[in-house]
Amino acid sequence: MDVSLDVSLLEPPEPLERVLDALAGLADGDRLRVKLRRQPFPLYNFLRQMGYEWETTGAEGRFEVLIWSANPAASSR
Amino acid sequence: MLNTAGLSLEQAPPIQVPFRLFLTAPLFLLTAAFILGWQGDAVFVSRWSPAALAVTHLIVIGFLGQIMCGALLQMLPVIAAAPVPAVRFVGSTVNLFLAAGAALLGLGFLGIGQGVLTAGAVCSAIGFLTFLVAASVALTRAKGAAQTIRGIGFAFASLLVTVIVGLLLIGALNGWISIPRLFDFVTMHLAWGLLGWVGLLIAGVAFQIVPMFHVTPAYPAWLTSGLAPVVVAALALGSLLVMNDTKRVAFATFAIVVAAFTLFAAVTAWLQVRRERKRVDATLLHWWVAMACVAAAGIGWALGAAPELIGILILFGLGAGLPAGMLFKIVPFLAWFHLQHRQLASGRLDVRVPNMLKFLPDRWARLQFAIHVLTLLGLLLAWVVPALSSLAAVALGLTAATLGALILASIVRFRRIAEDLASASA
Repeated sequence: MDVSLDVSLLEPPEPLERVLDALAGLADGDRLRVKLRRQPFPLYNFLRQMGYEWETTGAEGRFEVLIWSANPAASSR
Repeated sequence: MLNTAGLSLEQAPPIQVPFRLFLTAPLFLLTAAFILGWQGDAVFVSRWSPAALAVTHLIVIGFLGQIMCGALLQMLPVIAAAPVPAVRFVGSTVNLFLAAGAALLGLGFLGIGQGVLTAGAVCSAIGFLTFLVAASVALTRAKGAAQTIRGIGFAFASLLVTVIVGLLLIGALNGWISIPRLFDFVTMHLAWGLLGWVGLLIAGVAFQIVPMFHVTPAYPAWLTSGLAPVVVAALALGSLLVMNDTKRVAFATFAIVVAAFTLFAAVTAWLQVRRERKRVDATLLHWWVAMACVAAAGIGWALGAAPELIGILILFGLGAGLPAGMLFKIVPFLAWFHLQHRQLASGRLDVRVPNMLKFLPDRWARLQFAIHVLTLLGLLLAWVVPALSSLAAVALGLTAATLGALILASIVRFRRIAEDLASASA
């Protein structure tokens, strides 16, 4: 199942905080679909550190990042 | 899909790199305040007075230059995944040479000696050129934020022209080369430095951070794509005309630049009025006053106002205010980001990093803003009545001290929270 999260109207670092919170509550095998207005380069660093994979689509002003665990069993810490 | 998953960059520079530059900068604003207190009348009477030249370079290189370089070292990775190579070395070199350069230029202009002035110019040039080379490499790696990156590129080109013209001026003062119309070269040095480097960098960064931190609509595309090329083309044309002694036409081209920045200030204020979150914080207040100063300086210049008045509006109203406002967002964000990074690295996702506002409470930032506004009024008053310059100097010193104290307090808080998190995670 995909969980949606729209952080496009929040100021930094709230979008990052909300995404980290949402990932912590994500069930095994679920994916997180995040809407934001700009490319979240600092988030990618966090995701890599935590063992997630992602795919970014969209253009300036409306990006969508789809995030899933690279290793579902290990990510439920 | 965009090519982001393949990035394997260490995104942010070590936190000490920008913090050291941010902490050193207010000392130069404080030094400018001492000179104002000591030789105040001279500063306000003529922009050519040694004291005015010393104060200008202390603010522009020591304060503004260090903050702008420090902010870019950490901002390029965040907005465009463009880390600056050898960032530790570059940060330390820029810090050392810009600080030494500003101090020596200040002393040199105050009459300590031609050699000191020359050493100050050489140090400043080394600091800026080191920054330019490293940050330009970063720009070639940038992904996204195309208009901002292009604007920063134009600002870099302007800084290079400013540094070269500055060095030529020093060469002429030493009698190594001969420049036929020295004052016209000074005008070029000033125009490329303030309008090209400072102006275009602020605008380019604003295109990203105003919509980001104040959740406003995006800047219109005609402004983000048109501003930097128009400004640089007009500055280049104006410089050629000045050198060919066609000053009336040159005035018209500089008028295009001034009109462009006045328009930028108006659009910025308009976007901020239309922001999604109606909260007013110290950063927003600094933006509004800075943009009002830019608009007032532009209109004043067109009406033939005294250069000293325009100098107060640009150097203090914009140059000391906006960096403070930006630091009130940048420093807490950096602190938060680094601690969050550390938590994730240690695998402790359950112990959360405190909210960004904990690092620099808005009420303290507002106090600094209030002192800034009083200082601005004091400086304007002292321009009318130079006898009041010591009062304005005290206010300026207080502005600088408050800013320095707030940055220091944020760093102390960062260290304390880092220790708390480390013991909670142990």
